[in-house]
Amino acid sequence: MKNEISAMMDGELFEDEAESLLGRNKNDSSIRKNWAVYHLIGDVLRQPEHIHCDLSSKVRERLRDEPTVVAPRGRAVKQKMRTFALSAAASLSAVGVVAWMSLQISPEVAPQMAMQQSALRPASMQIRTNSNDYLMAHQEFSPSTVMNGSASYIRTVSYTREEAGPQSNPNEK
Amino acid sequence: MRLHVAFYGVLLALVAHAHAEEKSALDWLGVAAIAGHQTNYSGVFVYQYNDRVETSNLIHVTEAGSEYEKLVSLDGPKREIIRHDGQVWSYTHHQMVQMDSQQERSRFPFLLPEQLAALSANYQAKLLGIERVAGYNAQVLLFQPKDNLRYTHKMWVHTDSGLLLKAAVLSEKNQVAEQYAFTQLQIGGQIDRSWLKLSDMAGLHDKGLHHSPETDKTAKEITRINSGWVADMLPTGFKKTMEILREMHGKHAPVTQMVFSDGLSAISIFIEPNDEDEDDVEGLSSRGAVSLYRKILDKNLITVVGEVPPRTVMQVLDSVRFNGK
Repeated sequence: MKNEISAMMDGELFEDEAESLLGRNKNDSSIRKNWAVYHLIGDVLRQPEHIHCDLSSKVRERLRDEPTVVAPRGRAVKQKMRTFALSAAASLSAVGVVAWMSLQISPEVAPQMAMQQSALRPASMQIRTNSNDYLMAHQEFSPSTVMNGSASYIRTVSYTREEAGPQSNPNEK
Repeated sequence: MRLHVAFYGVLLALVAHAHAEEKSALDWLGVAAIAGHQTNYSGVFVYQYNDRVETSNLIHVTEAGSEYEKLVSLDGPKREIIRHDGQVWSYTHHQMVQMDSQQERSRFPFLLPEQLAALSANYQAKLLGIERVAGYNAQVLLFQPKDNLRYTHKMWVHTDSGLLLKAAVLSEKNQVAEQYAFTQLQIGGQIDRSWLKLSDMAGLHDKGLHHSPETDKTAKEITRINSGWVADMLPTGFKKTMEILREMHGKHAPVTQMVFSDGLSAISIFIEPNDEDEDDVEGLSSRGAVSLYRKILDKNLITVVGEVPPRTVMQVLDSVRFNGK
């Protein structure tokens, strides 16, 4: 069993073997424990100074407290969702550990992580006014124009605050 | 002409249907799409996006089968949009520029049956009861996407005229990405029509507006093409509605534009030779519900624009490739 876990960590198990191991992992706490210990060993070997906490249980707890957003549709889907949720949880905790570790180890990795995360959040950058032509060209064929008529063109002529200041003409009526 | 007769037939049927029995959310959407183009109205609406609110005046008149619309911003620098059927002029920075001239567009753009079908495949449509907007009773419609690659759309449709009184686009966490709402609206009656004759270019010339040398070039050439560019990762239900080669303001070479729509929102992909203009900043930006993502791919500048979440425009752009000869 331990050999199997070790092989899987090294990516040396075939897909079906890995799946059966993961399946057993769900029900058997000793396998889970071994899995965690092996990772801890690996981490300690790589970075002895910085291993002092186990994030995975905390992440798991937080995930458990999260409300499930997706409404299940029938049993098959439910089953699938559970697998998804599990793999999501696994990858989340992995990201958690990696992010934390990279902050500890090499500062130059941190900005990269930050960049990737910001890409997942809604864009905070405002569309620049020199892109208005693209917006206008898009608007022309968008169903939102069918529904809102010219009202949706207001998007394309919106101005930025910076622009509103110096460029607006006081003589304008 | 026969088409128009058929069209009015459909309209009458829809209106009759409206009074006869309970309408579904899709029926209401169809009614609103038609009413918005057929009704004469004038009013003030607010457009709220990000942390900002802008107020504008909107007049819409249908005369002799033609549609005229004038939008004037009431805050900030004066911006004005005049639309006559498929032609759009924009007045900003003291310049009147013709933006669009799409002759082919039907005079009453209408939600096509296949668009409605795509819509119900990708959104859960719901009726949410009656609310009051700008003093009118409105039927509330909700369109919730079945995946996280598009936004939720909420609409308030006037129960009598079918006009869209308010429209909100909501992000995943039910935060308002943007919304339009009339705060004051006059439907029918005496509406100012003095500006109607200004909406042909001759009128604009007479008014003594400047024309930059480029302006004449922006009387756009639009050619339908098959460019050979494809995007493999469009969200399901987005069908190509248009692929054209167009002139664009300030661009030396014609730009390829592909438009995909799922019935409620659209994604445009623009492809042009990269002229290394420093103004064309790569990356992600947004305004209200519109996301824009731009990247240089080999020697081409690709811009993806749509009323979809940022992750969708990124996913689409990253899947763009040339599949032609």
